[in-house]
Amino acid sequence: MKAAAWICLLLPLASALAITLGGTTVSRRVAGYISTVTTMGSFAAAVVAFVQMLDQSAGHRGHVTTSWTWLAAGPYHFGLSLLVDQLSVVMMLIVAGVSSLIIAYSVGYMDGEAEERRYFAYMSLFVFSMLLLVQSGNLLLLLAGWGMVGLSSYLLIGFHQERPSAVAAAKKAFVMNAFGDATMVLALFLLVQHTGRLDFAGVFAASPHGGAVANLIALGLLGGALAKSAQLPLHTWLPDAMEGPTPVSALIHAATMVTAGVYLIVRCHPLFENAYVIQDLAAGLGAATILMAGLIALVQTDIKRVIAYSTMSQIGYMFVGAGIGAYPNAIFHLMTHAFFKALLFLAAGIAIHAVVGEQDIRKLAGIGKLMPQTRAVFLVGSLALVGIFPFAGFFSKDSILSAALDRGTFGVIVYAAGMVGAFLTGLYTFRLFFIVFTGEPTPFAREHFHRHHGQEGPLSMRWTVGVLAALSLVGGLLQFAPLWHPLSTWLGPIERPLAEPTNWQEWGSSILAIAVGLAGIAVAWAIYAAGRARAPRALPLLERKFYWDELYDLLWYRSGDLVARGFYALVERPLVAGSLSALTAGFGVGSREVGRAQNGLVRSYVLALAGGLAVLAVVFLSVR
Amino acid sequence: MHGPDIQWYVILAALLFSTGALGVMVRRNPLIILLSVEIMLNAANLLLIAFARLHGREDGQIFAISVMAVAASEVVVGLGMIVAMGRRNVELDVDKLRTLRG
Repeated sequence: MKAAAWICLLLPLASALAITLGGTTVSRRVAGYISTVTTMGSFAAAVVAFVQMLDQSAGHRGHVTTSWTWLAAGPYHFGLSLLVDQLSVVMMLIVAGVSSLIIAYSVGYMDGEAEERRYFAYMSLFVFSMLLLVQSGNLLLLLAGWGMVGLSSYLLIGFHQERPSAVAAAKKAFVMNAFGDATMVLALFLLVQHTGRLDFAGVFAASPHGGAVANLIALGLLGGALAKSAQLPLHTWLPDAMEGPTPVSALIHAATMVTAGVYLIVRCHPLFENAYVIQDLAAGLGAATILMAGLIALVQTDIKRVIAYSTMSQIGYMFVGAGIGAYPNAIFHLMTHAFFKALLFLAAGIAIHAVVGEQDIRKLAGIGKLMPQTRAVFLVGSLALVGIFPFAGFFSKDSILSAALDRGTFGVIVYAAGMVGAFLTGLYTFRLFFIVFTGEPTPFAREHFHRHHGQEGPLSMRWTVGVLAALSLVGGLLQFAPLWHPLSTWLGPIERPLAEPTNWQEWGSSILAIAVGLAGIAVAWAIYAAGRARAPRALPLLERKFYWDELYDLLWYRSGDLVARGFYALVERPLVAGSLSALTAGFGVGSREVGRAQNGLVRSYVLALAGGLAVLAVVFLSVR
Repeated sequence: MHGPDIQWYVILAALLFSTGALGVMVRRNPLIILLSVEIMLNAANLLLIAFARLHGREDGQIFAISVMAVAASEVVVGLGMIVAMGRRNVELDVDKLRTLRG
């Protein structure tokens, strides 16, 4: 099992190195195949690890394997160690599985791009980093993976480096993530100070219970999770990150990397349980993100941005799950979300690909008539996102919400926010679906639509989307809490949930959630498909995304600019520049005065010599 | 040891040196200045030889010979320059030669 874990981790790294070092000897097409095959190999290794783990008894499934001591400083030793247990094997399966599908899709999507090799090398690097993140056996190695997924994300958002907007978006994502990384590093410093170690088991056993230190540690980790998962208030980078190619949006900014924050909270749940205020804060911020992202998604006109806001909102549900202590439910939703959100992005990618890169839903409107297969899979993804029985989202989202009911007043507030969010999800998802995939195609769509050898897209794009559609259809059946719950049982030994809803809470909440989701769909239908109701005018508040960008601009850029200008006017110009010019002027005057002594008269020079000699003589004599 | 005591040599050398220095300071003709410099050099030579004799060692005499050789070369260069200046009808007055003024 340990060998399988190492193979799973290192195959994508080997692929990235091979493509990079191979240079032009690797053809573009082959680079895509190398990347796809190695990632599938990773998935196979993860499956092997999973099967081997099934043979072991429930209490003995966690294994730490250390290759060597990575970092030794005084009494501290941090190994290059992997932790393979029930949680990480689930994450390995999700990451490697979804990655291999999306990279296979990319072979068709990126065909003909000028720099395919670079793209596939970055994608492999990302898969390696993400696997390192979920497999690492200590927080230091986790941080390394955490930083490397941020780097891969930066590189892939800015893949079209000739577009200034892509470069700006990449920078924004990097800076926001660096902020989260910094708070996380501070939390690790505190942990090292108070426990002297960073391996998970040791940290959990020795970390302080309650008090300011425990709160600060949890807050630092939460800061990292918020930035990586694009939750309030560090969320502004995710919509801009849609500048990257569509498969990148599907893989990094929907299915895997942005859910790393949820993984972090679930993995470090003992630290958060020691600081319950911070854990409640995580749930509260998640609930706020559900509502805010849902409202903004109602008015966006870029197909990818709508899905991006829906990603934020869905990760909000996972944060709620992790925050109220329903860890298996959060991981379950993470998994189903990876399926249906990757499906939505990839289906949108097929539509975008078919009309040469147009992403504006007003221009794409009605394209579903030209692409019935894509319309069908997008409908599957949308229904799964809204959470309609029997699609995947129904099982995972409702179990989080019903678990919230078990957590007192705070849980009820979060539950209400989640229900409003479910209504908004139905509304914005089907607004998108009805506008883009129903009705008559626009002249623009008719003019630019082109088929790929008589099909809606290349084969590699169609089969991967088909697999994801199947997973979105049946993936949720893995667990239905009132009747069967293999995932909770599987994760049980390491992730003991804090919230256990009763069966009736599960049933009642599920029925209510479906009703609310259907209501959202009905409103969307009335407005955007049937045209019965007039579309309300978009509020500027929503169009400007609640003014977050403007707020940050005001808080950080403008204030920094103001301070810098103040320092320039009050310190640099008078003190630094002033002292320098005074110094040069002083030297000028001094040298002119000294130069006057050099008058060219030999007599005066001799006099000076004789005078100096006389002075020296007097000095020496008197000193004696 | 025969001859006058060492202090007479020192006094004579001091007188000669002062004469030379005064000449350098007050005269304006480069030829005379060169002469005065020679007088100062010879004052130094006199001291070197006097002390060499006092201590009964010969390195002072070797120094004096070196000084004479240097003085001879210096006179050659100096006189050469003065002759060249005379040929070009440059006025022989060091106060007029002030191109090195700062």
